[in-house]
Amino acid sequence: METIKNYLETMFLNLPNTPEVYKAKNELWQMMEDKYTELKAEGKSENEAVGIVIAEFGNLDELAKDLGIDQVIHQNPLPESKILPLEDVKKYLSDHAKHAFMTALGVLLCITSVCGPILFSALAEKNKEDYLHALGACSLFFLIACAVGLFIYSGVMIGRWNYLKAERYVTDFATADYLHQAHEAYKPIYALQLTIGVTLCILSVVPTILLDYASGYFSVFLSQCSAAILFILVGVGVFLIVMGSMRLKSIKTMLHLNEQRTVGGNYTPSQQNEPHYTNKTTQTIMSVFWPTVTCLYLIWSFLTFDWHISWIIWPIASIIHALIKNLLSE
Amino acid sequence: MNSISSDVIRGYNDTMILCLLLDKPSYGYEISKQIKQLSNEKYVIKETTLYSAFTRMEKNGYIQSFSDEDNVAGKRRTYYRITPLGLQYYRDKCEEWQLTKEVVENFIRG
Repeated sequence: METIKNYLETMFLNLPNTPEVYKAKNELWQMMEDKYTELKAEGKSENEAVGIVIAEFGNLDELAKDLGIDQVIHQNPLPESKILPLEDVKKYLSDHAKHAFMTALGVLLCITSVCGPILFSALAEKNKEDYLHALGACSLFFLIACAVGLFIYSGVMIGRWNYLKAERYVTDFATADYLHQAHEAYKPIYALQLTIGVTLCILSVVPTILLDYASGYFSVFLSQCSAAILFILVGVGVFLIVMGSMRLKSIKTMLHLNEQRTVGGNYTPSQQNEPHYTNKTTQTIMSVFWPTVTCLYLIWSFLTFDWHISWIIWPIASIIHALIKNLLSE
Repeated sequence: MNSISSDVIRGYNDTMILCLLLDKPSYGYEISKQIKQLSNEKYVIKETTLYSAFTRMEKNGYIQSFSDEDNVAGKRRTYYRITPLGLQYYRDKCEEWQLTKEVVENFIRG
């Protein structure tokens, strides 16, 4: 049964996504399923039944005129494309999972790199030993060096997948189905990572506030260290967000390989599709829109500590994003 | 002769389908099964041929499709019923076949 389904789906994979094509596919599937069920009931083996159903299926050429697809079959307006096998797709996903982890770790190191100077200068003041300041500065550069190392290494590692951009690749039905399942399976994990990440970022100020308040009872040293805790919490939060969104994006990239207009692109409904900006410059600017907004939000908030009002940046950014999307995208 | 040349039979797929719809509305697989049975398993209609005939005849107004529950299998199917126009077309095709048969018959030896 699965073989028949795959056979039919593969036949229709590169046909346009129109109601007529869908109707034809469903009707043909109904007939094949009926025939298969009856053959099995007659006592035929699985292989025999599948063989007969496929042999008696016929040829899509016959339907070309009725479905308005003769152009697709005879002229092939879709660009020439190669099939990306399932093993390569799996390798792509695992490479990108590593890439996501290393990048997120690099970001974590960058954010927490300031903890060194904070902690060491607190220690220096406490023990009255100046050389600790120098150690703090060194630790900062050491962590940043590690982070940059991670960025470079993982960037080079996934560079070998650049050939996917140079040519058109598509996936077969079984692979598209696998990706669809991987996508569905990763969604709840991503939701959890995002939730914990954002919560950590928001809660990051809590220890600072508490320790500041409690410093009267304990020591000044603790309140000086509290800033370090803030950066660690933000770092872990951002780590989770970066890793989650990068992994999700790699799955989506694979899912989007199949042309939207074809039945194979079935799994990427238009509302989920990213808008296409006609202008190259707009496209570049829009690709960094949300990261920029996030940076602005964090910079504004941390510099002024006006958290009660700085959130206004999000609704404003959404309106601007919607405006640009509607005015400038296809 | 081992099998029917599809070129010859193509002109009469519509006639066979309409004939089967004379008695009662029917659906894809049932029609293909009946064609196989009534032809003593000498002709098996391909799924794509059948579907293409359905869409073409529906466009011409010879048949009408409707969705209904199949009580035996317990699922919804697309059924087809013949229209008065389809009935007229069927009669024309029957006459045409009588004529064709008469003419060709004269040239068959052996």
